[in-house]
Amino acid sequence: MPALLELHAVSKRFGGLDANRDVSMVVEEHQIVGLIGPNGAGKTTLFNCVSGFFPPTSGTIRFAGREIAGWAPERVLRAGLARTFQVVRTFPEMTVLDNVMIGAFARTNRANEARARATDLLAFTGLAGRARVRGADLTIADKKRLELTRALATQPRLLMLDEVMAGLNPAERAQAVALIRAIRDRGTTVLLVEHVMEVLMPISDHVVVLDSGRKIAEGPPQTVVRDPNVIAAYLGEKYRPRDEGSA
Amino acid sequence: MTGFARSRPGGWLPVAATLSALVVFPLVVDDGSWLNTAVLVLLYAGLAQAWNILGGFAGQISLGNAAFFGIGAYTSTVLLDRWNVSPWLGMPIGAVIAAGFAVAVFFPFFRLGGHYFAIATIALAEILLILFTNWAFVRGARGMTIPFVRGPDRRPTDSWAFLQFNESRVPYYYVVLGLAVLAVAIAIAVERSKLGYYLRAIKNDQQAARSLGVPVLRYKLIAVAISAAVSAVFGTFYAQYLLFIDPETTMRLELSVLIALVAILGGVGTVVGPLLGALVLIPLSEVTRSQLAGSGNTLDLVLYGGLIMLIAVFQPNGLVAVGDRVRRRRRAVRPAGDGAERGDAPLVGAPGAGD
Amino acid sequence: MDGDVLLQAIASGLLIGMVYALISVGLTLIFGLMEIVNFAHGEFLMLAMYAAFFGRSLVGLDPMLSLPATVGLLFLLGVLTYRGIISRILHAPMLAQIFATFGLGLFLRGLAQFFWSPDFRSVEAPFLAGLSGGGVEVGSVSLGVPQSAAALLAGLAFLALYLFIDRSRTGLALQAVAEDRATATLMGINSDRMFALGWGLGAACVGLAGAVLATFYYIYPSVGVVFALIAYITVALGGFGSVPGALVAGLLVGLVEVVSPTLFGFSPAYKYAVVFGFYLAVVLVRPQGLFGRF
Repeated sequence: MPALLELHAVSKRFGGLDANRDVSMVVEEHQIVGLIGPNGAGKTTLFNCVSGFFPPTSGTIRFAGREIAGWAPERVLRAGLARTFQVVRTFPEMTVLDNVMIGAFARTNRANEARARATDLLAFTGLAGRARVRGADLTIADKKRLELTRALATQPRLLMLDEVMAGLNPAERAQAVALIRAIRDRGTTVLLVEHVMEVLMPISDHVVVLDSGRKIAEGPPQTVVRDPNVIAAYLGEKYRPRDEGSA
Repeated sequence: MTGFARSRPGGWLPVAATLSALVVFPLVVDDGSWLNTAVLVLLYAGLAQAWNILGGFAGQISLGNAAFFGIGAYTSTVLLDRWNVSPWLGMPIGAVIAAGFAVAVFFPFFRLGGHYFAIATIALAEILLILFTNWAFVRGARGMTIPFVRGPDRRPTDSWAFLQFNESRVPYYYVVLGLAVLAVAIAIAVERSKLGYYLRAIKNDQQAARSLGVPVLRYKLIAVAISAAVSAVFGTFYAQYLLFIDPETTMRLELSVLIALVAILGGVGTVVGPLLGALVLIPLSEVTRSQLAGSGNTLDLVLYGGLIMLIAVFQPNGLVAVGDRVRRRRRAVRPAGDGAERGDAPLVGAPGAGD
Repeated sequence: MDGDVLLQAIASGLLIGMVYALISVGLTLIFGLMEIVNFAHGEFLMLAMYAAFFGRSLVGLDPMLSLPATVGLLFLLGVLTYRGIISRILHAPMLAQIFATFGLGLFLRGLAQFFWSPDFRSVEAPFLAGLSGGGVEVGSVSLGVPQSAAALLAGLAFLALYLFIDRSRTGLALQAVAEDRATATLMGINSDRMFALGWGLGAACVGLAGAVLATFYYIYPSVGVVFALIAYITVALGGFGSVPGALVAGLLVGLVEVVSPTLFGFSPAYKYAVVFGFYLAVVLVRPQGLFGRF
């Protein structure tokens, strides 16, 4: 059976800058795949290419057997691929419930049905108690959880999470890890982007490492952490200016 | 804010009461100028409601909605004048033309952000105004007079078939009431449907909306089409009400601004807001005009402008926000009351026992 | 078509374009500083024109002599507007900001009409109109002296503004606030005072424009409406917040307005339609305007 998501030689150039170069990777169905790399490695760019926010300069992106490179974000979403944002983009003036309903409307035209689905999902992700709170009034941790719930409401086959753990304290992180496992157990494949390696190791089935826009390693987490290229990339980061950003 | 002020289902009693009051109004108030004011209130309530679908729900600030109003007024009037088509037929035709025009023109406009979009809508309406002013087919700046419907005795008479009432203004009132109710019904339907949710998502964050599968452009176009169609319907009514239209009265910038102002003053993004705005602003402008402008001065403008300024400064979220604040305060008080009911029976009983 | 006629149209277009640029630059200055559009801008212009008018009729001063006073008064009006209204709605929704200034405009227009009547007035025998018989010949092109002086003054104002913003300490502080309010505050710049200064400067520019415009244009309470509309188009065309953008866009708008009827032979009645159409055409290709920052 072909993989759910297959990237072949994906490159993205901005002006003279190679944000991604010849990245190939696969995400098998029902796995949790980690995509890691130091700041500026091109993770978010890759994410944006896959989710339709910009077209890749070259290469192919196959999702569930269809070539989706260059599709608009809304079309990618309808094909079953949902994403969250590194910098949270909650709808600030809408309630938590309404936020999630927007996601649910991707699969239904009826408000009642969307509301029911959203309510179920809020219970699943533990936000039921905050359903009536405005998006703007949530804590960062809850905003991230809301974004995840909202993306889940679109009933994706593949859920791509961009640094959902960043900025969370250890207790919140543990909750997030449990939630991601539960999502996988419900049958949704998960692609996680993280900057911090330790976070991904315990939950990922497969890890892909990017550095300077290229893939430098991949494999099971235990193998990847011992890869000399990976160690060099991460060690090297300590001596690099921090303000490169990961876009 | 939208979450709180959104019309709640189940509030049927006040709705029914308001509607009945509106129905009996002309029977009770037998005064031409008040009736005229009431007609204008309903007219602007409808126009502001239409504006609100695009400007309030979707957050796309149009300062050119008079263009749609004018298209409605001119379509039915030209049809009537040239081919004797009833305004009742001209009304939906005008709505369709306005919607088609809106979709065609706003398709590129929706790429523009914030102020650029607003200025583009101004430019659009102004271009239309200038073209109509110089277009011989619609008699240019001289405007168009709607011919009287005459009875067998050759005197102007009432005609439901041709939406013209020369003996009493009351039928006009009921017509515009019906149209305003229609506009409100459309707004409520939009608000509660997927369309309304999507429009609010677009207003909040377009990129996030796209990431959740919202086809942003398509939904903006649907919003502007509805907004234009509803505005055009009121344009036809206005032409029949005044029996005269010219480009200035139907398309000028001040009209576009006033429409937006009514909605903003009441509170954008809610169904109640535009109604409240019209109810406050239109009588105020009419009263100040009749009381103060009669002597030839313009204190009404001074008062009107001053008031708009004050409201913007002290009530930047519109009049519905006042209601929200009261409701929130009441809600904040309630937990204490709940506690008393549940556990602290002695406290509840205390006043009676003490007396 | 006659080459001389075209040349004449280009010259006239550039002259009025300089005035448009001067009217617009105040608007764009304020926007660049704090992202607020002043919808009372046209009324500021109107008040400046009345100041010039009354300077003549009451005190006997020519608009050119009362010019410093007019500019000073408008500066004060700008600062007062900021202190009294704008500073209270800095964080309010954009709609409230639009309508606060729009309400101010109505208010001022109403006052003008109340006190000064809606009559059209003009400054009596302005010095510039009498100078050299009111016109100068440059080759085959004849230019009005007041119009030429207005354009010249506008040019000088732009130069002064450029030097002030780009070279002076205060100008740099203004730029810092426009760039990043929070950081500027950390650097010890009082952003509130900079905003007040920005409003003062913006109003002073339109004051200068009003004073020169009064020498060759009718003065009446709603005179600002037409010019304000053109100013909004000009500012958006140049890119909100861009001073060079306002200059280039003002000249373009003037050219399009005057030259296009001559060039394409349509009635001048359509000239503003063409200007607005031109704006739409440009902005649909460049949504951020000619010199816009985003």
